[in-house]
Amino acid sequence: METVLKINNLSKNYGNLQAVRNLSFEVNKGEVYGILGPNGSGKTTTLAVVLGILQANGGDFQWFGEPFTKQVRRRIGALVETPNFYPYLTLWENLKIVAEIKDAPEDDINYALGVANLLKRKHTNFGHLSLGMKQRMSMASVLIGHPEVLVLDEPTNGLDPEGFAEVRHIIQTQAKEGKTIILASHILDEVEKVCSHVAILKSGELVANGKVGELLSADETVFIQADKLDKLKELIQDSDLAAQVYMVEEDLAVVLKSIYKSTDLSKFCYEKVFPLSKIVVKKQSLEDQFLQLVK
Amino acid sequence: MKKLFNLEKIKAIAYPAFKTLMIIHFLLFFIVILVVSRWHITIPGFSIKGLYQFPNIWTFFPWVASWFNIFLTIVLITLVGNEFSFRTFRQNVIDGLSRNDLIVGKLIFIFTVAVYTFLMVLFAVIIFGLINTDGITFKMILDHSYLLLVYFIQAIGYMTLGLLFAMIFRNNALSIILFLLYFPIEGVIRLFFKQEVRRFFPLKIISNLTPRPELLTMASETSYTNAAGTSSLDFTEIGLLPEELPLGVTVIMATGYIGFFIALSLFLINRRNL
Repeated sequence: METVLKINNLSKNYGNLQAVRNLSFEVNKGEVYGILGPNGSGKTTTLAVVLGILQANGGDFQWFGEPFTKQVRRRIGALVETPNFYPYLTLWENLKIVAEIKDAPEDDINYALGVANLLKRKHTNFGHLSLGMKQRMSMASVLIGHPEVLVLDEPTNGLDPEGFAEVRHIIQTQAKEGKTIILASHILDEVEKVCSHVAILKSGELVANGKVGELLSADETVFIQADKLDKLKELIQDSDLAAQVYMVEEDLAVVLKSIYKSTDLSKFCYEKVFPLSKIVVKKQSLEDQFLQLVK
Repeated sequence: MKKLFNLEKIKAIAYPAFKTLMIIHFLLFFIVILVVSRWHITIPGFSIKGLYQFPNIWTFFPWVASWFNIFLTIVLITLVGNEFSFRTFRQNVIDGLSRNDLIVGKLIFIFTVAVYTFLMVLFAVIIFGLINTDGITFKMILDHSYLLLVYFIQAIGYMTLGLLFAMIFRNNALSIILFLLYFPIEGVIRLFFKQEVRRFFPLKIISNLTPRPELLTMASETSYTNAAGTSSLDFTEIGLLPEELPLGVTVIMATGYIGFFIALSLFLINRRNL
């Protein structure tokens, strides 16, 4: 499978604050890849670095196996943080600028405005739009030039439920067309409904990544205690039992894959000669799992 | 290049402050030259009409136009400051421009505006010169016409300095205020240096590109009578006016400063976060 984005040990500091530290992950073609984390976890900074608007302090990244050249940029449509347009220009003029940069035909402007449901507003100044419309305008600009990859940072910020659904529909439609989508969000529901894969960040570090179904499923979580818990954690990680293993205070939390039950884990520990002093089984909500990961 | 020109055209033409300041610039220049043409000043050896005749008009009109370069620079600073406050430089890079393209785009804007003001002054010189010059010859028209090219360099010089201020401070109000304050500040700083060094300061070099018209210089000289007859007292000779560098040297120095301002702007855009 073709790798669209590969990040290796990326680090970014703002003075003494380390916003991203030694971050590595890969996004493959056709994936809808979520970058999930609380505010300040480094999602936007990571995207800003891989889009060339912030300079990294360490590590590197490649798009389509190449350095980030002008030609590579044109294969990507991106919006980072707030919608960034000229408020005194109309929507059409703003998108004309984007089309000019991407060498895209003017037909793309009407197509993008149509997808974002803004065609009737094409002669309205950007500064006169509501927040929701501005966000939809950002989605329109991302579509100019029919890029292979869409990078979206908090695309539903400030949207009402209807706007949220519209943007989600646009993302899902683009994904069905085979586009690779990288979506940064702090909204678990958004990532769960839209993404196929997810990387979870906490304080600039990757705490987990994989398929959404495996990482953020409502499967059984087993909390165990034993001697040499670190060694046991390694053994469980190397086994096929767990989708996820992490420490919660004194306990080792093991999120079992859906085909396994707590008895399978207990048997595994017994066979590996790690007698358990505690075993508690919980069915965690998605939110609980996410909060455990970023705690 | 064409793409960057088109981008700057879309950004500037619809911007209300651009239109307003360009109209003010145009009107002020023509109002001043029309009003001055109506003045009647009686100083021995000096006539207002002489300023509107070839070849003196080549000095006088660019000199007047140079006062209003400040408006062109403010337009430029505002457009660059907007790019930072609207975060559109950042978006332009996300969409596919390189960081150098951002500066090249603004340099194209500077060049275009300088061409516009060059043509405006050229048009005025031709019209007023032809109306006011008696016994006109082609040689008379061309004499000193190179001063208009020097004015063109000066307009670029002010605007590239404005570009540098906008790149450093990234804020319209702050950049404009500090740019305007830089004029008196450099003047004060120059006082701490010897006369030979003062002449090489950037603003001094750029402003000296459009020299005061010779007829005005004549008016600033005082006639006196000595044993040999009537002679003039040159304020430069007695140290009341500073001795300036030859124009050729000033042009070379100004070009060097323009290159330095551009290089520093490129350095800043490539080193700092957008």
